[in-house]
Amino acid sequence: MKSLLWRLAGHLTRGLAMIWAVTTFTFFLIRLMPGDPVQVQYERLIALGMSPEQAESGTAMTYGFVPHGPVWQQYLDYIVGLAHLDLGVSVDSQGIPVADRVFGAMPWTVLLVLSGILVSFLIGVGLGVVAALKRGNVVGHSLSIAGSLLHGVPPFVIGILLTALFTRQWRWFPSGGIYDADLVAPGFYADFMADVAYHTILPASAFALASYGGWLLAMRSSVASVLGDDFLLAAELRGLTRWMRFRYLARNAILPLFTVLAISFGLVFGGAIFIERIFNYPGLGMLLFASIGARDFSMMSGSFLLITAAVIIANILADLLYSVIDPRVRRQT
Amino acid sequence: MKRSVCAIAAALAITLAAGATAGCSPSKPEAKKSGGTFTSIDANHAIDPQAPINPYAGKGNAFSGYNAMPLAFAKNHLTDHNQHFPGIAESWTVSSDGAEVTINIQPKAKWSDGTPVTSEDIKTSAAVAFSQGGSVFAITPGSTGALGEVTIVNEKTIKFTQAPGARNNTFLRSILAMWVLPKSVYGSQLPADFWDKIKAGAGTTDAAKAARDEITALGKKIITFGPQKDVSAGPFVLESLNASEAILTKNPNFFNADKIGPDKVRLRNYTGNEQIWNYLTAGELDTAPYTSTPTNVVEQILKVPGSRKITGLSQVSAALVFNQKYAPFDRVEVRQALAYLIDRSEVQKIGEPDSGKVAEHTSGLIEDAAKQWIGDPEVSKLNPYNVDKAKGEALLTQAGLTKKDGKWMLANGQPFTFKLQVPNGFSDWVAAGKNIASQLTNAGIAVEATTSADYAVYQKEIAEGKYAAGFWLIALGPSTYNAYARLYGGANGWSAFGGKLSHKLAGEGGNWIGGAETANIAGVGTLNPGELTYQLSQMPVDQAKETIIKLAKYTNEQLPGIQMWNYINVQFVNSTRYENFPPDNCECLRLTHGVWMQLGYIQPKKQP
Repeated sequence: MKSLLWRLAGHLTRGLAMIWAVTTFTFFLIRLMPGDPVQVQYERLIALGMSPEQAESGTAMTYGFVPHGPVWQQYLDYIVGLAHLDLGVSVDSQGIPVADRVFGAMPWTVLLVLSGILVSFLIGVGLGVVAALKRGNVVGHSLSIAGSLLHGVPPFVIGILLTALFTRQWRWFPSGGIYDADLVAPGFYADFMADVAYHTILPASAFALASYGGWLLAMRSSVASVLGDDFLLAAELRGLTRWMRFRYLARNAILPLFTVLAISFGLVFGGAIFIERIFNYPGLGMLLFASIGARDFSMMSGSFLLITAAVIIANILADLLYSVIDPRVRRQT
Repeated sequence: MKRSVCAIAAALAITLAAGATAGCSPSKPEAKKSGGTFTSIDANHAIDPQAPINPYAGKGNAFSGYNAMPLAFAKNHLTDHNQHFPGIAESWTVSSDGAEVTINIQPKAKWSDGTPVTSEDIKTSAAVAFSQGGSVFAITPGSTGALGEVTIVNEKTIKFTQAPGARNNTFLRSILAMWVLPKSVYGSQLPADFWDKIKAGAGTTDAAKAARDEITALGKKIITFGPQKDVSAGPFVLESLNASEAILTKNPNFFNADKIGPDKVRLRNYTGNEQIWNYLTAGELDTAPYTSTPTNVVEQILKVPGSRKITGLSQVSAALVFNQKYAPFDRVEVRQALAYLIDRSEVQKIGEPDSGKVAEHTSGLIEDAAKQWIGDPEVSKLNPYNVDKAKGEALLTQAGLTKKDGKWMLANGQPFTFKLQVPNGFSDWVAAGKNIASQLTNAGIAVEATTSADYAVYQKEIAEGKYAAGFWLIALGPSTYNAYARLYGGANGWSAFGGKLSHKLAGEGGNWIGGAETANIAGVGTLNPGELTYQLSQMPVDQAKETIIKLAKYTNEQLPGIQMWNYINVQFVNSTRYENFPPDNCECLRLTHGVWMQLGYIQPKKQP
């Protein structure tokens, strides 16, 4: 237990250092991008008849930093703000706290990407086992080829295809949005949940179709390697049932995929920029895309911070989880 | 925020079978009524569910013409920027010197909570406008034509008076554009001595500066302020909101409620033109605002049952503008030569075939406005720069260039070559830029059309003088001051501050066009175009003709840019659910579709 706590403490220290390093790097990287909306606002105020001092003061009050202030001062203000859990205010949506926008968009992305990951994981793992067990015949070959092909197709191509088919050719699904606010109000009842599901099916399907191939191939490879292990032969010789042998096989083959799955959960917060954009799904991906276009420094910093923190936390959890689900790792530590 | 949390909690449950959360409303909105739900896009900004219901917030959920009302809506008039459709103001009168505007409020105007809209509300609205600054609400010592006094005449009449000093001929327009806000909501945000601070802030002392700083701080507070519940004097009230759409319901207290057809309005979120086109091709919109749409997309949209176009006047022109810091663009002969060598008709057909019309003359105004302002005889005197290779080559030779092996060489022996910059994502400019590059390369001038990463980069780098030539929107009417300020304002070195005009040298203070401060124009004499433009902001509209003639001639001869095409306002409507859309060329086309409804347009389709 003590060693686990030490490990956790080590992970958290390294994680915080990593978050600080990435935050610092992205802070300066973002400011190297050409285009400056704060400067544009400053010049707009001048054009509207304000004096340079008034325009500077007005801009600083709106965005929280002086347009002509040194970058190190902006960085210092940003870090001090972060220490107080203040991500700043949006440049594009004047005066709106970044945290409000990020945490407002985050749940929709979690819904979309998480459901996409889970569906693709379940389908990919299931078909991966079949592909491995039937690897000598046409079923195994077909599944492997289909998995490889879909794994190679970018998600946005699948998104465009689904949009063209199911919102244009056959208008079965809406071309965007999260729910129809004219038909349902947010609440915990079947109509609302059904409407959210109706709006999420296409983007989540695009995500799942684009990523299940990876799970399939990984599971197929993992199952194939476990199939040759001695413990399965021993189980067969001991006369264990086929179902029991399958459980032995599956539990050992799926271990490496759990780590990848846990890390994938961290990437959930990165959103699915192209899919969200194609389906006009207002999650973190679209927020990040729009903030890059608008050079919304604060929003970009906030989004990157969330993605970084999520990936690092997911990595820590994956590490801890692995020792829980694999007794061999637990014994080694 | 609470709504969002509830929505997400419920939504996650679909996938994860999570437990119930408390506090989520289980009720459904009321069933639709006969007027139906009208679906469109608000062109002004995307939907931001975190933004307040405040028209001054950048992405505030107050939508012009729906639940946000100004005193009046500016018409898309060809020449008179003081023409308006009534809003909360039923009528208005202007004193002979333009310094006093008296507003008569709609007698039946009420807020959605049932209380009447009064002069007190308008005065509060003016105070809020002052806190945001700009136009006639600038609190800068010596600023031109700022608002001085606000006087309540009676409950439904209010008077606005310009501060002493130089006149501003956009005074009426600026006053009428002011958002009308309820005193019951915004009054508490203003200090009791607000108007004293405004007076104190107009001075030059330290105390005046302190007063201005207080007002600026107040502006920040107000920009993030919004009522929990919408209080609207418009035809609709905000009912609900999520990250992908806003739903507004009809306001029964609206003074003109009988004219409003739809029961509800759905405004959908968008992040770019592609999303609007997606909605249109999926048949999900009843109307859409203007977007520059490629021909293949236009064809797809028009294939949707019930879909058609409405076209009208657009007071915008696309021009190829030169940075005269880059030789040989400092030579007027070279700029004129390019005008003769480029076939603008071909450029327009390739760049903007559906919503553009080739510019017949470069005058700084769109063609129809130029004809209206200065008359056909004067317009016919302008050089149309019809394609004429011989004239173009003669002018290049006159500027000291020589032709060698089919290529034009500068006086220093280097080949005449330049990059024509366009922003990525502007499909019309990109196509036009490539065509111009191709035409000029064929004429012996090696031109490469290059794209900036996006419009933000383009704006920054063009202002920094990094491009030799690029596309630029000009002729922004109907105010001729606005139109000419695009060519002879900050981008070309002229700026007015505290009632005084000054000129910066090329490459300094945002002067990227870098034209001469004065030039001698044949038959007119030496002109300072920045000074003439500034005069346009102050002189009465009916006295502006002579100044506009001078500026048109200056622009036509000096060619800071070559007008390629004048835009046409093309909007798509779908008559499957609604009918009685505005006719082509309606002066309301540039206004939101909420204003169309106030004018009696957009009625539910009668079932046969």
